[in-house]
Amino acid sequence: MSKYLPTIGIEVHVELKTNTKIFSNSRNGYGSVVNSLTNVVDLGYPGTLPTLNEEVINLGIKAATVLNCKIRRKMHFDRKNYFYPDNPKNYQITQNDTPIGYDGYVEINDDGVMKKIYIEEMHIEEDTCKSTHRKDNTYLDFNRAGVPLIEIVTKPCMTTPNEAKLYLEKLRELLFYTDVSDCKMEEGSMRADANISLRKKESDPFGTKVEIKNIGSISNVKLSLEKEIARQEKMLDNNESFKEQTRRFDSKLNDTVLMRVKETGNDYRYFPEPDIPFVEITDEMIENVKKTIPMLPDERREKYIELGISEINSNKLVQNRDLSDYINDLLDEKIDFQVAANLLLGDISAYLNKEEKTIEETTLNIERFIDLVNNVSNKTISSKNLKDILETIMTKEDSIEKIISSSDVQNITDENLLTEVVDKIIDANPESVNDYKNGHDRAIKYLMGQIMKETKGGANPALVMSILKDKLDN
Amino acid sequence: MKNKLTKEEVLHVADLARIEVTKEELEKYQVELKKLLDDVEKINEVENYDDEIMIAPWTNNTTLRSDVEGPMLDPKEVLLNAPHHTANYIAVPTVINENESEGA
Repeated sequence: MSKYLPTIGIEVHVELKTNTKIFSNSRNGYGSVVNSLTNVVDLGYPGTLPTLNEEVINLGIKAATVLNCKIRRKMHFDRKNYFYPDNPKNYQITQNDTPIGYDGYVEINDDGVMKKIYIEEMHIEEDTCKSTHRKDNTYLDFNRAGVPLIEIVTKPCMTTPNEAKLYLEKLRELLFYTDVSDCKMEEGSMRADANISLRKKESDPFGTKVEIKNIGSISNVKLSLEKEIARQEKMLDNNESFKEQTRRFDSKLNDTVLMRVKETGNDYRYFPEPDIPFVEITDEMIENVKKTIPMLPDERREKYIELGISEINSNKLVQNRDLSDYINDLLDEKIDFQVAANLLLGDISAYLNKEEKTIEETTLNIERFIDLVNNVSNKTISSKNLKDILETIMTKEDSIEKIISSSDVQNITDENLLTEVVDKIIDANPESVNDYKNGHDRAIKYLMGQIMKETKGGANPALVMSILKDKLDN
Repeated sequence: MKNKLTKEEVLHVADLARIEVTKEELEKYQVELKKLLDDVEKINEVENYDDEIMIAPWTNNTTLRSDVEGPMLDPKEVLLNAPHHTANYIAVPTVINENESEGA
């Protein structure tokens, strides 16, 4: 147990999943030809005016709702002034005074202990252009300029690097499931900064704050905080003082590195953006947005567990939104959900990964999937044999029964399973058993037929005969 | 009330605007900037009738734009006003060392 108490706050930028940019109608896209997704507004030409994208406000309302934030009903934008080539109009349009959402929280589950992570505020702003720094020049790509962002700022309420990780995972899950953002950290559509300070006990004032900027993955957020805590502990132990500073995480060095402190600090001279009049958020706008919010991850997990799916598989399903959406379409069906989840997460996932397909791109529609689940749960087909016919199931439109019965591998060869069926048929047909024992060989054929019927023709006949004879002769 | 800004105040503003000032300019701006600030201060003398801030000389709300894509510039046009460019990128003097992050 460390003798210092860490205090951690997280700031996250996420790019919103809109068609167009926040203040212009050029495309919001990733991976296009350099400087091909711009117009004069994005390039900051004199005389151009911003026009606010309706969908940005809708996604802001949506994010605020799922993050349990209060929604600001009348808001404006502000100019954050700074001179830097990533923003040629020399100010970024953001929300300083009136963030769209405030006083929210998300709940994390830290090894069985629930904790609320409080959100101070979330505001809408425009992204800057992407700068690539080289020794000779800085290179600018304006495709990202004007992409809508929301910045979500927590209160300094986390006390361990693991809480920070769990918070980010929760945030990403919520924003991804609500289509607010695609939350791809590797493409920069979700970016995290962490603030960390240490103090000896809770009643002490906060220690000196260090900001770790632009951390590229959730696991690196946890790692960089662990490294930074260790670094600060050592300094405090040695009575070394240090100034507030900005650092970055170097994944090659596996440690945080000091960044040069900017001389101008936070002198951004904010003032209200006069080119965008007030934005009023009505009850109707909020209600319309709420209608578009799907079943959220926590509710899905609960529902799956209630339907008999294991906790591990419930979590795995939520981690795969395609499969989770797929199974959500059949929640009202009377099927064995344990089997359904095993199929989706096992053989079907393996097939989809191998073929690089989504389940929607296969012929396995909901009706055929229900048939498949039923055939597996009533043991018409063993999971072993399923592997051999899965490709046919996923690429052809024939009924599951037809595929099973016309395949070479329809035989159920599970001896324990067949013994169960044999026992059942023997118990149900005492007359035939007697007939056989009295020398009527035809009786065994009748019993055999009943077993094949019971297994919908799926049993391996030779194996059934061997088990049956064994039972009858002893 | 003092009638000019300090040298440090002017140099700070110059630094924020990324401009260099000569010794003569510095003295001139100490007086000029102070005059500008005093003029702006006069706004504070106006009686406030409303608690709400005023962000523009009108009271109507903004009109939201539909999220529909419009025409975009060809990269060639984008580069027309850029003195230096390489492979579609606009090139500017290196602004930070590699340890520093991007702007805001």
